Amino acid sequence: MLNSSLFATLSSVSAGDGHAETVVSAIPEAARPENMTWAGLILLLPAISAILCGLYACLGIKNRLPGWTTVLALASSFVVVCMLYAGHEPGQPVVIHLFDWIDFSWGSKGAFENVTANFALYVDDLSLFWMLFVTGLGTCIAFYATEYMDEDRGKGYSRFFGAMSIFLLAMSALVLGDNLVMLYLGWEGVGLASYLLIGYYYQKTTAIDAAKKAFIMNRIGDLGLAIAIWLVWFNFGTLEYDGLFQALNLYLPMAEDGTLAGTQMGDAPLGWTAYLIPWFLMVGAFGKSAQFPLMTWLPDAMEGPTPVSALIHAATMVTAGVYLISRTYPIFWLEMEQGGYALATVGWIGGFTALLAATIAVKQYDMKRVLAYSTISQLGYMFMGLGVVQTFGACFHVYTHAFFKALLFLCSGAIMHGLAGQLDVRKIEGLRMAKGWKVVTWTMFIGALWLSAFPFTAGFFSKDEILAQAFVQEGPGFRALGWIGIITAGITSYYTFRVWFRVFGGKTLRIEPGPEHHGDASSFHPHPPGWRIKAVLIVLALGCIAAISSGYFGIGHWIKGMVSNSSASWGMPLHWHEGDTPFFGGDPHVTMYYVSGVVGLLGLSIAFYFHLYNRKLAITLEHAIQSRMSIRWIPRLLEKKWYMDEIYNATVRIPTWLCAKLLYLFDRLVIDGILVGGIARIPMFIARIFQPLQSGMLQGYATTMAGGVSLIIAWIIWTMSKGGG
Amino acid sequence: MTLLAVLAETSETASGDSRMLTICMTFSALIFVIGMFGFLTRRNMIVMFLCTELMFQGVALAMVTFSRLHLDVSGQVFVIFILTVAAAEAALALGLVILLNRRRQTLDVGAWSEIREC
Amino acid sequence: MTPSILYTACIASAIGLYLLARSSNGPARGIGTLIGLGGLAYLLVGVMGSSEGGTYTSILPLIFGIIGVMAAVRVTTHRRPVFAALYFVLVVVASAGLFLLLQAEFMAFAIIIVYAGAILITYLFVLMLAQQSTTDDSDSGASWYDRTPREPALAVLAGFIMLAALTQSITEADGQAFMKQSIEKSSQSSTIAWQNLERLPKQLTRAAKDVQPDTKEVISGSLTPNGATATIKVILENDQEATLTLPASSQPANNQNVGLALVADFPVSLELAGVILLMAMFGAVVLARRQIELGEDEARELAGMQPTTQRGGDE
Repeated sequence: MLNSSLFATLSSVSAGDGHAETVVSAIPEAARPENMTWAGLILLLPAISAILCGLYACLGIKNRLPGWTTVLALASSFVVVCMLYAGHEPGQPVVIHLFDWIDFSWGSKGAFENVTANFALYVDDLSLFWMLFVTGLGTCIAFYATEYMDEDRGKGYSRFFGAMSIFLLAMSALVLGDNLVMLYLGWEGVGLASYLLIGYYYQKTTAIDAAKKAFIMNRIGDLGLAIAIWLVWFNFGTLEYDGLFQALNLYLPMAEDGTLAGTQMGDAPLGWTAYLIPWFLMVGAFGKSAQFPLMTWLPDAMEGPTPVSALIHAATMVTAGVYLISRTYPIFWLEMEQGGYALATVGWIGGFTALLAATIAVKQYDMKRVLAYSTISQLGYMFMGLGVVQTFGACFHVYTHAFFKALLFLCSGAIMHGLAGQLDVRKIEGLRMAKGWKVVTWTMFIGALWLSAFPFTAGFFSKDEILAQAFVQEGPGFRALGWIGIITAGITSYYTFRVWFRVFGGKTLRIEPGPEHHGDASSFHPHPPGWRIKAVLIVLALGCIAAISSGYFGIGHWIKGMVSNSSASWGMPLHWHEGDTPFFGGDPHVTMYYVSGVVGLLGLSIAFYFHLYNRKLAITLEHAIQSRMSIRWIPRLLEKKWYMDEIYNATVRIPTWLCAKLLYLFDRLVIDGILVGGIARIPMFIARIFQPLQSGMLQGYATTMAGGVSLIIAWIIWTMSKGGG
Repeated sequence: MTLLAVLAETSETASGDSRMLTICMTFSALIFVIGMFGFLTRRNMIVMFLCTELMFQGVALAMVTFSRLHLDVSGQVFVIFILTVAAAEAALALGLVILLNRRRQTLDVGAWSEIREC
Repeated sequence: MTPSILYTACIASAIGLYLLARSSNGPARGIGTLIGLGGLAYLLVGVMGSSEGGTYTSILPLIFGIIGVMAAVRVTTHRRPVFAALYFVLVVVASAGLFLLLQAEFMAFAIIIVYAGAILITYLFVLMLAQQSTTDDSDSGASWYDRTPREPALAVLAGFIMLAALTQSITEADGQAFMKQSIEKSSQSSTIAWQNLERLPKQLTRAAKDVQPDTKEVISGSLTPNGATATIKVILENDQEATLTLPASSQPANNQNVGLALVADFPVSLELAGVILLMAMFGAVVLARRQIELGEDEARELAGMQPTTQRGGDE
């Protein structure tokens, strides 16, 4: 049995010294040191690597040089980030100016009188926190990909690593950028890299379609972001974070002791458009982070190579939405303080997406798709955390999720790599018994435990921070949101272990080769992963285990410190005091450990029962459900992803198509036909009257001319004789 | 009495006769108009040019009549230039006719109607 | 002359010409001839009635004019181009007669020489060159495009509107008054002819010698026109001055007047006319030249060079 006092200790450690004393202070003005331009290497190294990969492609290099170049560049980038972190003073943002990019100013060059977006880095705790795992994981996964992509050497190898380098460059610009325009640049850059990498196998139609789908879906979100950036300038007169936060400090004034003393408006009250900013930012974030209703691109993005799925579509790029909202949290906070519902909407969309994606994942057979839906689901948790004013929990979950989800993806990549593209959980059994698959088996087990929030794992702690806050924070239906989160946690646990038990469990080894295997199926033998894949898996598993320590030994403080020393500090829990809002009669954090632990174990045991211990029962149950008309639509609905794509097709695509057709017809008939063609036809008709004159017959022209001359002469003589000469 | 003597005598006495000048002008107008009519109705290219010569003839007659009316030889000098232009035109036009006839083996001007602009 | 008569005459002539143009033979042709002649007569009667002058002096111009007009109608209506060209000669001869009556003797013979002699011969040559064969056409030996006129009604309309306008301007009262005024003005002062004589010194001396054989030289600038006659001062052989009266016959002849005007009054125009004729000659040469495509070997052969390709085996 679990010891309740242990939980209490944990909770007090993880939640900090005291809830009420969490300090929210004005964001300090950034320092601008002159001698730190070496930090620009973080951006420069991936850029050089991308250019070199392009050169390699031109030169037709067939060895692993592009891979090693990229790994080296990313590792160096990681080292530079570490150096930056080592020299960083907590709570003090630093702006490192690299070079002038966009710099217009007029008048007295104050706010509203300049458009400045220079190439500069805004280094604070939040961006460093993000950069550490982005470059770190990037390096690991690039290392993994050097082996994974081996078969493509000389074909797409340089292209793959070039796009990876572009991705890291853009992601670094997104996170480190000193202004919203640079963030937007990076935002579009990661979108481009994602497009290039999803469509890596450009001879597969599904891959091309998926790439286009991802790109177009993201465009919708990017429009929101672009409008939001414009509105920020319109309301605050600046695009740089430093100036923006200083302007916001005026609207979020502090009492003398640094606590929030209610909102008093600055000299000039903000216009209503300022309260639209969060909503547009939200749209951008939902697009990039695949939240409802812009979520359908992420599962399809699994058409790309698995390292890409791990890095871009699980660990880093999709968390850009969380980063965006954390970074601009004061604006959300301001809106909430004015009685708006932007944050509540973020939370509810997050919760809804979490549940929706989890239910879909239950009935998927493709291993990578299960993981993709679980990614959407976990991102939903993060947004739920942001929505219930728990940025720490959201960022914590981003961090743990990055590790265990990358690990899970890389494991599934190893399986796919070794089994000729086989990913169907129904066609693999007992893989743990195959020779050379031990590492994959047990690292994936660790990943699955962490994802299912098994007690005392890192995912357990980070998820509980969010769920507990849902019960604590006062907001529209946040309690219900908390229950949704708990139910989703159970489902998550079930579907994660369903995959693991199906693939690795079982009494016998049974493998059907995947579509990339050519030849007799009976002669197929899975080839185990090489040392580089294994090394990366082990490193990531160790990272997952290390992340647990953040829940125990004060590293929670580390992350908490990182988050609370940045613009996201506005979302740190403030109002909760012990006993304020009891949950099952106790401290919500403590109670949450019990509840979510029980729920997670429940899900796990159901998966164990149906998918390992008594698989026949699962089949019987399946048949039973299928034979009943009244409920057999449920599994079908889940398998078809709630018919989301079909609904979009019916509600968006077909009306748009019809609209386009109508407009096309309007253009053809009215614009071209009546306006343009009609106007063009007027001279044509007039010309047709005179056309017989242009018969080409010489005498025709001559007769006309002679007749004209005759008439003129007759007229002249007539007027002369009338006028008496 | 020879014809020339009659002519000479007539011209002596006709000096200042407005009726004769009127008749000459009427005939010049008639010849011009008939030439124009011929140019408009005939299809044979050579005859069309012949009709332009007819029109020249009408104009030359009018010029000479004016010369007589005003007792000024400028009108007759004008006729000389008309002759010059008529000769030049005849040379060029007949050259063209030969060229065109060589192309289409016909003198019909209608054979060239497809070089219209449309 | 009232305009209605004039217009009626014009319309009648127009209908006659139309009928003549439409049909080559048959009753329509006869009717057309009759109506045309009637119209022409009516027109001439009207013209005669509207002007003043002796009837006798009008007969010769009428004869020449009617011959000319009828020949002109034949030029435009004849089915065979050769005959049209020959009728054109008749028109030229008739108008030369009119020129003679109008005291333009040089022009009368010049147009006969140039038109009937030169230009018409060219036309006939071209006709013979172009008219390959008319034997295949059984109907009076004319091509179809010579037999069928094009839009004669419109052409007649255009032409006779012009004719009505022109004849009205000639015959109406104002025109006649202007004409009479001009004639009086020109007959009162025949100074132009005497001035021309003064510009021809040799002619003047000869005229003086005709009157007074002893004339040594004429004192320049001394010619004084006096109506039909003129007086000049001359120095006789015995160095005495004398005043001579020149008769009207001493005036320079028509050709002399024209030549003087051409050379002395319009020298630039004369030069230009020469250039025009030269250019027309070049143009005719370029246009009518037959262009032959020569192969490279033929061109080399014509230029007196060895052909490029050697035919093997001959040498």
